[in-house]
Amino acid sequence: MIRFENVTKVYDQKARPALDSVNLEIDRGEFTFLVGASGSGKSTFLRLVLKEDRATSGAVYVAGQNVAKISSWRVPRLRRGIGVVFQDFRLLPQKNVFANVAFAMQVIGKSRSVIRDTVPEVLKTVGLEGKEHRMPHELSGGEQQRVAIARAVVNRPGILLADEPTGNLDPTTSMGIMGILDKINQNGTTVVMATHDDDIVNEMRKRVVELKNGIVIRDEAKALYTSMIPVVGQSRRLKDASGRENPDAELRGEGEGQR
Amino acid sequence: MRLAFILGEIGSGLRRNLSMVVSVILVTFVSLTFVGAAGMLQMQINQMKGYWYDKVQVAIFLCSEGSTAAGCASGPVTAEQQGSLNALLESPAVSQYVNDFQFESKDEAYKHFKDQFSNSPIVDSVTPDQLPASFRINMKDPEKYQIISETFSSQPGVETVIDQRQLLERLFSVMNGASLVAVSIAGVMIVCAILLIATTIRLSAFSRRRETGIMRLVGASKTVIQLPFILEGVIAAVIGAALASATLWAVAHFFLGEFMSQQYPDTAFISSGQTLILIPALLILGASLAGISSLLTLRRYLRV
Ligand SMILES: Nc1ncnc2c1ncn2[C@@H]1O[C@H](COP(=O)(O)OP(=O)(O)O)[C@@H](O)[C@H]1O
Ligand SMILES: [Mg+2]
Repeated sequence: MIRFENVTKVYDQKARPALDSVNLEIDRGEFTFLVGASGSGKSTFLRLVLKEDRATSGAVYVAGQNVAKISSWRVPRLRRGIGVVFQDFRLLPQKNVFANVAFAMQVIGKSRSVIRDTVPEVLKTVGLEGKEHRMPHELSGGEQQRVAIARAVVNRPGILLADEPTGNLDPTTSMGIMGILDKINQNGTTVVMATHDDDIVNEMRKRVVELKNGIVIRDEAKALYTSMIPVVGQSRRLKDASGRENPDAELRGEGEGQR
Repeated sequence: MRLAFILGEIGSGLRRNLSMVVSVILVTFVSLTFVGAAGMLQMQINQMKGYWYDKVQVAIFLCSEGSTAAGCASGPVTAEQQGSLNALLESPAVSQYVNDFQFESKDEAYKHFKDQFSNSPIVDSVTPDQLPASFRINMKDPEKYQIISETFSSQPGVETVIDQRQLLERLFSVMNGASLVAVSIAGVMIVCAILLIATTIRLSAFSRRRETGIMRLVGASKTVIQLPFILEGVIAAVIGAALASATLWAVAHFFLGEFMSQQYPDTAFISSGQTLILIPALLILGASLAGISSLLTLRRYLRV
């Protein structure tokens, strides 16, 4: 579904690349965590998938298409196949919950009747039934993020990208959001979530791709936030990347895994 | 649905930026009024040329009491002098350039004068004695005025030879100058309008960057994202053009049609109906002004 072939992204010639020769394949229907310290290139990865930026070298394939070959007037079609959720929700403050979700359908020309049928359905999936007429400022952070998720998936994209969606939320609320993302994933949507929330990663036990300084240093299925089987010669780098003492994190991860 | 959505976006954009939109309307209004005024002056010049060029004559004014010209040294024109001038006009040397000519006596001159200035108090202070008699010549080719002038101005009994066409040319050059000034002011104002429209659209795009950001992410097409901004500018400019058109029509109808044509009944003023052809031109000019400046602005400030 998403394939990176030797992708390098340089924003600033003088600085190190934001992504450095990244090779990665994410299959249809997978749930993948993109972890790593702040500045490790997670957001850059997601931006390249969206063709918000272009790779300096290498090729990015989305649904089999090389995004560099998509002409600018067809980029909207690419983006219709990808939902996006951010840490800061990005709702329209003067529109109510229904209108915020409907907005994503209006701007691509969906008919009024389709919108009337689809929006309540999606709001139900994210657990917001009955709150259609609330304004964003009348909602908790978790509820706002649910609206944002509803907006991202209302056009049934094949891919959902989430850039630290739980970054502003408390652990309990975060788990609720993860439940929704998991449900969306189970309905067949490929989910890629950038995060540095170790509790969540450890709880979910999904594929983990770890970035450090733009380099993929780990790609592990059903994994924890930090590796349990450090690759020889990479253990030091892993420790630095997580920003924590390894044994500590592993202990916590195991503890939650057993619960 | 998409159309309704775009219309809604335009409405909210216009409301949010009301003061800027009003200034765009006013600036396009003023600039296009000047453009239209230049157009009206040119129409007026053409109208007057058409009306006057076959009516204007070369006038040979004859000496009267108190004339100081060299040909008038012997006092007012005598019947004898008048007869020889008449003969000269009929001679083949001159008549080959002349269509026909009439003699206008002092009394006839007074009558014409009275007609022309019927509603002016100056009539009461003028007597037939003060107006000179003249020969009125219709030329075959008005360009040959010089020949008549050279032949007659040194003849005894002739005070002066006047080409009415030259008087008109002087008037037309004043009017041409005025329309040039109008065009220059219009040019400056149009630059103002373009910059103001660009600024307005930039502000509008900035104040709605949240919406446009989300539109981009959910895959709205370039048209859906940009069209509301472009149409916002175009609508404001077209309103300005409509105001300018209404103003020009009102000037033609009330000022020229009612006031001026009473003051100068002999002058053919353009009618308010004729100004109607300026309206589509002004509307198209206003719309393309806004369209072009917003396209250029959006290319820089509204990435898609
Ligand atoms: N628009 C940009 N211009 C210049 N440098 C950038 C830009 N966006 C990100 N970077 C740099 O690229 C690197 C990776 O950033 P980012 O992908 O945002 O990391 P993350 O999301 O993992 O925190 C950082 O060093 C950051 O400073
Ligand atoms: Mg980031």
